[in-house]
Amino acid sequence: MSKEYLGEFEELVLTMVGILGEEAYGNAIVQEIKDRLGREANLSAVHVTLYRLEDKGHVKSRMGGASNTRGGRRKRIFTITNAGVAMLKVMKEARADLWKLVPQLKVVSV
Amino acid sequence: MLRFLQWFCPPALVEGIEGDLLEAFEHDLKEVGEKQARQRFTWRVLRFFRIEIILRNRFSVQFINTIMWRNYFKVATRNMAKRKLYSFINAIGLSIGIAFCVLIYLYVEDEKSFDQFHHNKDQIYRLNESSYSVWAAQRGEDPMHKSAYLPLPLGTAMKDEIPEIKYLTRFNDGVTAIFRYEDKVFTERITFVESDFFKMFSFPILAGSADQLFKDKHEIVLTPEIATKYFGKDDPMGKIITLDLQGEKQFTVTGLIEAPPSNSSLSFKILVSTENQFSYERNREQWGNFSYPTFIQLHQNANLTDLKQKADKLIEQKMGDRLERWRKDGNIPEGYPVFELTYTNLADIHLDTEVSWEKVSDPKYSWILGGIALLIILIASINYISLALTTSASRKIEVGIRKVVGAQKKQLVSQFGMESMVLAFVSLLIGLSLTFLFLPAFNEFTGKGIVMGDTNLIRLIGVAFTTAMVVGLIAGSYPALFLSGFLPAAVLKGGFTSKLSAGFTKPLVVFQFFLSASMIICSVIMNRQMEFVATKDLGFDHEQVLVIPTQTGWNEEADKVVEQFRNKLNTETSVVHVAGTSSSFNQGWSRYGYKIKEENKSAYVYRVDPAYAGLLNLEFIDGRNFDESIASDSTGIIINEALARDMDWKNPLDEYLNWREDSVGLGSRVIGVVKDYHFLSLERDIEPMFLSMDKKNTGYLTTMLVKLSPGEISDKLERVKKAWTELYPDKPFDYTFMDQDVANQYQTYKRWMKITSLSTSFAIFIACLGLFGLAGINAINRTKEIGIRKVMGAELSNIFVMLNKQYIWLAIIAFALAAPVSWYVMDKWLGSFKYAIPMSWELFAVSMLTGLVLALLTVSYHAIKAALINPAETLKYE
Repeated sequence: MSKEYLGEFEELVLTMVGILGEEAYGNAIVQEIKDRLGREANLSAVHVTLYRLEDKGHVKSRMGGASNTRGGRRKRIFTITNAGVAMLKVMKEARADLWKLVPQLKVVSV
Repeated sequence: MLRFLQWFCPPALVEGIEGDLLEAFEHDLKEVGEKQARQRFTWRVLRFFRIEIILRNRFSVQFINTIMWRNYFKVATRNMAKRKLYSFINAIGLSIGIAFCVLIYLYVEDEKSFDQFHHNKDQIYRLNESSYSVWAAQRGEDPMHKSAYLPLPLGTAMKDEIPEIKYLTRFNDGVTAIFRYEDKVFTERITFVESDFFKMFSFPILAGSADQLFKDKHEIVLTPEIATKYFGKDDPMGKIITLDLQGEKQFTVTGLIEAPPSNSSLSFKILVSTENQFSYERNREQWGNFSYPTFIQLHQNANLTDLKQKADKLIEQKMGDRLERWRKDGNIPEGYPVFELTYTNLADIHLDTEVSWEKVSDPKYSWILGGIALLIILIASINYISLALTTSASRKIEVGIRKVVGAQKKQLVSQFGMESMVLAFVSLLIGLSLTFLFLPAFNEFTGKGIVMGDTNLIRLIGVAFTTAMVVGLIAGSYPALFLSGFLPAAVLKGGFTSKLSAGFTKPLVVFQFFLSASMIICSVIMNRQMEFVATKDLGFDHEQVLVIPTQTGWNEEADKVVEQFRNKLNTETSVVHVAGTSSSFNQGWSRYGYKIKEENKSAYVYRVDPAYAGLLNLEFIDGRNFDESIASDSTGIIINEALARDMDWKNPLDEYLNWREDSVGLGSRVIGVVKDYHFLSLERDIEPMFLSMDKKNTGYLTTMLVKLSPGEISDKLERVKKAWTELYPDKPFDYTFMDQDVANQYQTYKRWMKITSLSTSFAIFIACLGLFGLAGINAINRTKEIGIRKVMGAELSNIFVMLNKQYIWLAIIAFALAAPVSWYVMDKWLGSFKYAIPMSWELFAVSMLTGLVLALLTVSYHAIKAALINPAETLKYE
């Protein structure tokens, strides 16, 4: 297993970047998290996390095209890198391996 | 709000963040209305104000740089380790420079700290008199002569009549008296002060009360050192001791006072009330007797100008008639005041060179010392620069590779800058330890008592740190710029890497030589002059002479002691002569001014006895010595040639010198003329002088001279001491050697000569180290050339000459520059001696030769080594 480690929120944001593909930017990710998980994420937290992921090499960013919405500002589009995909895979598998080791208790409803 | 974001957010991120913020705002606008949307917008912006955003870019830059800095550091240490010799040369030079700077800083600080510890220092002034000096005017100097000595009644009147003055005390130092307690008898230095002294100055009182001290005339206050000396561990308070101040008197110890620190202008060991001073009662009304240094303290809110006006009025009122008379008698021109009162603030006393005072020091010494430190630092920096430039050949490839890989010039500059910094800080550590090592010697040389305390330790490290920084930056900047300027293509192509062309090193070496050469010349001349002073025939014999104070005070008793002691030692074979005099060499003098035919003249006067001239082996060129059996000799005088010249006498033996301005008689008959001898130091001309046996008018034989037979002194001294204790068991036996007294006249010069010699040797040492390094590199650079030359048949001597020639040239140029500069400086220095060595070309030749030999010795090691290498070794890889 690699020494790198992703925090829960980092993993979530990275996954969202993977899901959104070409449309992954700060606001879209906040919206996506809200829509899919019903969880309120703060915009600045998402931005900081994205930059951190970029430092670690899991995502890369570029400036998208301008549009009339957003006050004419361009979007910073994030895309997942191979390293990022590999990281997600490693984390998922590691969790799955661990899950297998948990005694499979039935969820008993009373 | 967005402007706020733009302010703190790194520019690269602003656009993306702003866009997201605005989009979210538009979204909110539809969902929750404008008011809430705005609130949320603001809140979101504020949430972006976080460390990760603000520092993002800066942090990442730092991050990359720390990696590089670490690498620079590693390369720097490796480089230093690789070139141990050069690193050593650089570090030693710089650390000596830093140590010097720190020491000089300590010196200057100490000078500035003088008398700063008194709480009332702003209100305390020393009074000075400034009076017209006829002698100074005759010599063409500034005629206003300043002195701290004032008449006794002036102070009393000032304190009584001027309300601004809160306290006033006299301070008379330098009297010695015999101090006796039970069986302990020693001569001690006594200082006379008044009761206000304890209230004005902040010398801590360890026992007794400052308000009560010196209410009574017979009180005495001691420093702990004296108390322990006499009373051991007993409580000194209330002890009764005997002091011989013009007769024995008993004193009671009523106080203990802490000894003044080394940076105090007032120093004392034993304090006694001024009233006990010799002829105090008589001097109370003597407005013409200037012998009492006086200190005043003003009231907190009093004004010095008011005080001055009142004091001037007081002087006019009390001394007006007298001053008019002095003006007439002394022919003092109108426009000059006869007498004027001036004021020196306590804190300024130390550096006020116009008024002589114990420990007073000329600020120019601080400048000289600072200059020396600067020179040493300069020489060490030049070492660094020239060595860095000369070794740069081997760094060329490194620079080329770094540049190819993407290093920018700025980065390379900081890399090389860093290297010099590393070196500077290594030197800083060595330099600080050297400071501690040098401090005791430095204290001795400069006559200071600097102690390393906590407070100045911090400031001192600060100074050392700053010096290291500045030197590191200055010395490092040129090599850094030079090295980083290489063109990678040219460097990596190869071919020219083995030889360097840093032409700038030559002027640097010349400059360095120039500095060392000037210092060599100066110290050679100073040494010669001191040698001259020590060995010059002074015209009298001062070897094997003991100088013993008669310990009687200024009275008839003194003459008797000399007589008794002479009789006692009569049978002693190891004693050749015993003579008496009013003052021995370098122990003071007296000078009389008199008017002859309306002309102001003056002469030095020594009271002597008939044995004096014989003891000193004075040469008579006319007349005869005193003879006890001829009654008229008691008023006769023996003059020196200078006096005869001064009086324009053709036949001095027919003349009378009316030095007492006797209106009835002719004055003193001249019975002999002695050849001029140096009764004063060689700084002074031989001035008119006469010897007299006239007790009443020229004083008593307070000093006894004992001439011992040649050879080992110690057991003879023991015998003289034994004779003394047998005769005077209750008087201490104090003595000095006359040759040492004479030598002590030049102590300051000697001290400064030692300092210059020492720093010269350091400077030369550092310069030679640098030269050694340079020559080594030069020889390495030319190994192949030397190999080829040898193959072609060059002799060892040819190669030796070839390698050394350029250094000799550099040295000669440097000397040519140094000679006029040092000539100018030394001309000034020698100017303070009336008897000085001439500055001949041979002195310069000697200095130049010394310098050349030193330089040659330094460079020859490498030249010989290079010339001896087997050419096969150096050429086999071609």
